[in-house]
Formats: sequence, C-alpha cells, structure tokens
Amino acid sequence: MAVNKPKEKVLPGDLAMWFFILAELTVFAILFIAFAVTGKLQPQMFSDGKATLHPIAGVINTLALITASYFVALAVSALHHGRQQKAAKLVLWSMLVACIYVVTKLWEYHALGEAGFGISTNTFYMLYFFITFFHFMHVLLGMIILAFVALKANKNGYQDNTNGFVSGAVYWHMVDLVWIILFPLVYII
Amino acid sequence: MLEHYAKKASFSFVLLTGLTVISALLGYLMPMAQTVTASSLLWLVLLTVIIKGWQIVDIFMELKQAPKLWRGLLLGYISILPIIIGLIYWL
Repeated sequence: MAVNKPKEKVLPGDLAMWFFILAELTVFAILFIAFAVTGKLQPQMFSDGKATLHPIAGVINTLALITASYFVALAVSALHHGRQQKAAKLVLWSMLVACIYVVTKLWEYHALGEAGFGISTNTFYMLYFFITFFHFMHVLLGMIILAFVALKANKNGYQDNTNGFVSGAVYWHMVDLVWIILFPLVYII
Repeated sequence: MLEHYAKKASFSFVLLTGLTVISALLGYLMPMAQTVTASSLLWLVLLTVIIKGWQIVDIFMELKQAPKLWRGLLLGYISILPIIIGLIYWL
C-alpha cells in the first residue's frame, strides 16, 4: 500500500538571503515607526507636507512594483519547469515595469525640488526623502540583481541549482513588500 | 503545474491591484471624514496592507510551503507592523 509522505517544507532561495531580508525589514520597520511617531507628534507639519506630495504618483509606483513582482513570480515558476529563456524574458519585463517606478520617483523628487522642498525643509521632508530614497536605492539594487540573474538564465546557467535566481526573486519581493507599507504610510494615512 | 501557479499568481496580482486602488480611494475620502469615520478608514487602509502583504509572502515569495518559522516571521511582520502604525495614529 502506497503511503503518502507529507510534502517537505523548503525555504525558497538561500538561507543567507533570508537573514539579509530580515535585517532589511527590521531597519525599514524602525524607519516606519519613526515616521508614524513623528507624524503623531507634529500632525500639522505632516498634514501640510503630505498635501504637497502626489498620491497618483504613489499609486503608479505601487502598481509598477506589484506588476514587476508578478512577472518575477512567473519567472521563478518558469525556471522551476526548466524554461530558462522564458524566465529571463519575464525578468526583463519585470525590469521594464520597474523603470516606471524609477522614472516616477525621480519626477516626484524633481517636482518637490522645483517647489522648493528639500531634505532640510523640516522633519517631514527629512523623513520623507530619507525613507523613500533608501527604498529607491533598494529598488536599484534589486534591478541590478534581476539583470544579473536574467543574463545567467538566458545562458542556461541554472541547470543544476536555481537557488541564486530564487534568492534574487525573493529580494525583489521584499522590496515590493516594504513599499506596500510605505505607500499608505507616506501618501494616504 | 505551471498553469496552476500562473493562475494563483494572476489572482494575487488582480487582488493586489484592486486593493491598491481601493486604499487610494479610502485615502482620498479620509480628509473629508469625521473623526470616527476617519479612524475606520485608517483601519480599512491598514487591513488592505495586511491582505496585500499576505499575498506577497504566501504566493509571490512562495512561503506557504516554507517552514513555519520563516512563514510566521514574514506574516508576523506584515501583520504586526501595520497594527503598530495604526495604534500610533489612533491612540
């Protein structure tokens, strides 16, 4: 009689990447709590500051990162089925969509600069620029990692071990996860 | 199998997109709302964050099949942090 073994639970990607992700998430959590506490202490300054932001740009950025993550998730699935070229193509699409985020964010910074707001204007802008730029740098790093894994997948470099590709994908999803909290905190609440 | 995952990921993608639009609309209504309604809207927005986070962790990161500790850590993060933020603004 065949016995159905319970499915083994496996952590996707490298364990080291998960520890790195935990460290990153902790740093962002501290920044988010600092933003919320300061917003609570100085409600007028934060409400005036938020009024100068562009919520539509925030929505565009959220949709861009979600779409990019969707393509990356499909890429990992394609890779697990041995379709490396398809995985590379999906990652490329992901990077193209992520460019929408990069352009929109740069436009936002430019528009705020033109309006005379900068990191030294007040505590709101200091925290806004610091947190969003810190996240922006993570997006850029994520795109570099995605470019690297896409190039390798295009050369069939993940025949035996897909851990590198999956770790890159997981990092990208972490960047998306952080934005999921950042977007309402900075633009909505 | 690939088709099955693609369907699940596509469902998550549609849900994430829909919730983003809903939270943006709630944010639009928030400044016009009375105190009680505004705090309800705040919690609704944070609920969308938690649902979105769970989709990313379970489906995109594929932690649904991962060891409980790691899944718990990530789901805990995406559930507890919005609640802390909510409490800071609400109290």
